[in-house]
Amino acid sequence: MTRWRWLLVVAIIGVALVPLSGARMATFLATDVAIWALFAVSLNILVGYTGLVSFGHAAYFGIGAYAMGLLLKNTTVPFVLALPLAGLLAAMFAVLVGFFCVRITKVYFSMLTLAFAQIAWALCFKVNAVTGGDQGLPGIPYPGFLKYFDGVPVIGAFDMGERFHVLVIVLVVTFLVIIHRILGSPFGRVLTMIRENPGRAEFVGVNVRRYQLAAFVIAGLFAGLAGAMFGIFNRGMYPDLMYWTKSAEVLIMVVLGGMSRFYGPILGAFLLLWLNQEITAVTEYWSLIVGLSLMALIFFLPGGAADLVERGRRFLATRAGRAATAVVETRTRNP
Amino acid sequence: MTVSILINQAFSGLTTSVFLFMAAIGLSLIFGVVRVLNFAHGSFYMIGAYCAYQFSVYFGPGNASFWMGAVLAASVVAFLGLLVERFLLRHLYGKEELLQLLFTYSLVLVFADSVKAIWGIEQVSVARPPALSGRVELAGAVIPEYSLMVSIICSFLVLALWLIIQRTRVGRIIRAAAADRETTTALGVNVTWLNSSVFAAGCFLAGLGGALVAPVTAISLGMDTEIVIACFIAVVVGGMGSFWGTLLGSLLYGQVLAFGILLMPEFSLFAVYALMAVVLIIRPHGLLGSSEAVRA
Amino acid sequence: MPANARFSSVGAILRTIAMAAAIGATAVHAQTGPIRVGFPIVMSGSGAQFGIPVLKGAQMYAEEVNKAGGVLGRQIEIIARDTKLRPDEAVRVARELITRERVNFLVGTFTSAEGPAVSEIAKENKILFIAPVPATDRLTAPDALHPYVFRVAKNTTTEGRAAAELMSKWPDIKRVATIAPDFAYGQDTTKSFVDRLKQLRPDIEIVDQQWPKLSEPDYTPFLTAQMSRKPDAVLSVLCCGNFDTLVKQAKPIGYFEAIKYKMLALGEAGSVETMRSIGADYPQGIWGNTYDAFYWEGPKGHSEYIERLKAFTKETEPSSWPIQGYIAMQFLVEAIKKANSVDSGKVSAALLGMTIASPVGPLTMRSKDQQANRGQLYGVAIKDPRYPFAILDPKKIINIDPSKFMD
Repeated sequence: MTRWRWLLVVAIIGVALVPLSGARMATFLATDVAIWALFAVSLNILVGYTGLVSFGHAAYFGIGAYAMGLLLKNTTVPFVLALPLAGLLAAMFAVLVGFFCVRITKVYFSMLTLAFAQIAWALCFKVNAVTGGDQGLPGIPYPGFLKYFDGVPVIGAFDMGERFHVLVIVLVVTFLVIIHRILGSPFGRVLTMIRENPGRAEFVGVNVRRYQLAAFVIAGLFAGLAGAMFGIFNRGMYPDLMYWTKSAEVLIMVVLGGMSRFYGPILGAFLLLWLNQEITAVTEYWSLIVGLSLMALIFFLPGGAADLVERGRRFLATRAGRAATAVVETRTRNP
Repeated sequence: MTVSILINQAFSGLTTSVFLFMAAIGLSLIFGVVRVLNFAHGSFYMIGAYCAYQFSVYFGPGNASFWMGAVLAASVVAFLGLLVERFLLRHLYGKEELLQLLFTYSLVLVFADSVKAIWGIEQVSVARPPALSGRVELAGAVIPEYSLMVSIICSFLVLALWLIIQRTRVGRIIRAAAADRETTTALGVNVTWLNSSVFAAGCFLAGLGGALVAPVTAISLGMDTEIVIACFIAVVVGGMGSFWGTLLGSLLYGQVLAFGILLMPEFSLFAVYALMAVVLIIRPHGLLGSSEAVRA
Repeated sequence: MPANARFSSVGAILRTIAMAAAIGATAVHAQTGPIRVGFPIVMSGSGAQFGIPVLKGAQMYAEEVNKAGGVLGRQIEIIARDTKLRPDEAVRVARELITRERVNFLVGTFTSAEGPAVSEIAKENKILFIAPVPATDRLTAPDALHPYVFRVAKNTTTEGRAAAELMSKWPDIKRVATIAPDFAYGQDTTKSFVDRLKQLRPDIEIVDQQWPKLSEPDYTPFLTAQMSRKPDAVLSVLCCGNFDTLVKQAKPIGYFEAIKYKMLALGEAGSVETMRSIGADYPQGIWGNTYDAFYWEGPKGHSEYIERLKAFTKETEPSSWPIQGYIAMQFLVEAIKKANSVDSGKVSAALLGMTIASPVGPLTMRSKDQQANRGQLYGVAIKDPRYPFAILDPKKIINIDPSKFMD
């Protein structure tokens, strides 16, 4: 499988170097997708792996973005310090919220996450002096250190937005690898066990709530990191980005992409953002077209886009006469 | 602060509650029986309001025409709900619950643009029935006659729904389905029929809520997402799928909003969300909800 | 996770690249041909009723210029995008318009959040941006000002002060209350009003301030709370379609009688669409403001503008909002002519201090803060047998020029 690993590395480098194509729109889309992909994957730690459906994940994204915006705009704290601080703040809020949320189950869990997220939104909307109210924080600067890359080959020719794109790709890939490692560890397998059967997990001595809380905090942390990057990318942070409709959007990405696969939410982020971009460019009736497209996907591709990829891959594998491998892979489907 | 101010706020909170209950009870009913968390409930409510406007244009102003228009609007919405359930939603039963949720969300998107295409972008309004355009004064508080009338209708609705649920065969089936789905199916109840009719009834109530709120608000695009979140709060606070819970949740929502505004206007925005959070922390299944009724 | 997941991510990412490359390839390169104006504005949801008319006004002006042979021999093409009333979406479409549609200029945005958000993008890309509606002072405040942002709308300071000037002349008022939506526009306008009123009339006391949230479905508790403080006069800043709901709920509880119809309603509460939508319920005797009114006997050229607007929109009672899109485009086109260039830097320089003859009278783009001296019409609501809805008494309409109280 090393061949595929190399291909993946090449692909990532390719995405990082999209600015070379000269198509600035493609660069923006790629940065946007990368950030939302991290956000969606962080939500999938809860939804797909632990079986907890959060309706309020935008809160952590928003807290990360506000923290980053305030630090870069009002203080001299550099980006390299501001990023972990933003993530940490989001994680701390996740500890607080998660402490209460993991005590309840199913739809009530979803509703409590929603309630806390709406409280966070209302706070950011109200505390004008800090967050700028509904007008938010426009003018979040790019990380200062990016300007020192002038002499570096390739990247030196990029403008600040394009350099930031490279930085985002590097960071998102790093974070995705970390999440992948966490989910592949024994800790991740306990989460899956909790999703499959919390009662059994409890029976074999797992402290279910503690594990759920840990998952909740990890998800909040990475959502905060994604938000911190988004605030810079968006050149400003606004409370709309914390409203429940944003939480719904990221949940759509997870479901649309396929929550049973690690890479599903990444596909979902790409699909939804790309669909939205292309449809709004053509018609003001984007809502109708996006809605109908979603319905079509729900009915014809209930396993998400990842399902289609899997089917295509298996088809190719069979055709290549490697049916045996496909069977093995199907059996080891994860999670 | 005088007593009359308190009474005034209590009554205006009550008015809020009444309109909210009309919208929320359908959501609760659908969740309790069909087990679908219907994000599109606000859209059905919005369509009800627009249909009421349409009928008021056809019939002209008047008392009888207003009430007839409201019932017709609710019926149109019920029929629309029936179509959605029969042709689309039905195919998602038994599948991943998140898919059902996503489906209702896609309905929100589709209905939003459909309403825009049909009724245009400008706000529209419906006049109050002429006989109810005044107000009554009660212990120093001022209450619009129309709101009082809707409160009375709402009380009758509560009574009627309660009688149906408690005393009729249909009600027994609904209660059984809400409590334990599998057993109900095993007992030979036609679940297909049950789901369709409950979904349509829920939509009827949403449409009626929209039609009755039409004279006290501006009917505009975007009223769908505003109401649905308020409905969620009312339903969750009371306990999902619980009939009396939804009533209690709506009443609390109205009072918290009214007194939040009076006591700390700066923070009235999150008083209702705080209510939801506090209730869920103290009583994980809502005030009157039971743990068995929760599966989704 | 087994290796197969890694295996498929490759495919996923390759697809992303392929798509991205395809998008890049379709980018339109327009150095000659029509002058392209990107127009990010809300076209869906509750804001559509204002955004679409603003866009129509701009389209009408573009059509007029194009029929007359264009500008610098080139036609004007408006490329509109829905911002969905969200600043992040406004930023996204602004970027799309600049990078993919290669627009020369940006005109548009609606809210006080969208305006400054798009201003950042204009600054970064050195693309001239004219805001026809956003009212926040922050858009053109000294620390946010840059050569590429201009505004042809009122701002919260001028609107609040105009209202204070007007109300300070009302006799027998001592107790004033305010009601405004709880967001920047409402808060800033109210603050500007209160500050000015206290200067002009130190004897007046602000007895109550209500802050319902934007698009509040139920104003009754706010109104009853306000009535209990017994104000003599009220300032309403309910904009954006919210005034309709307030009126419908205020009327039956006798709110307007309690304040003896002494209300000054800002936020375009006197606009044609608001008065039409409220219909017979509109409280007669209150003061409202609006950007324009088809029945207003305005300066020379206004009635011709209204006739053209009626023909363009095929409405007999056209909206009050198209004028904002129209004026924004007029400033842009006049500046392009003066600069004899479509270079944003040169057009920006040409705009400074420029005066145009707009349908609502001469307007000047102040070079100090890149803000036009755009005022509004103020008038008393009356019933007119010619129309099925209330109008502002045409004989008493005042067109307030904010120049004298702009900083």
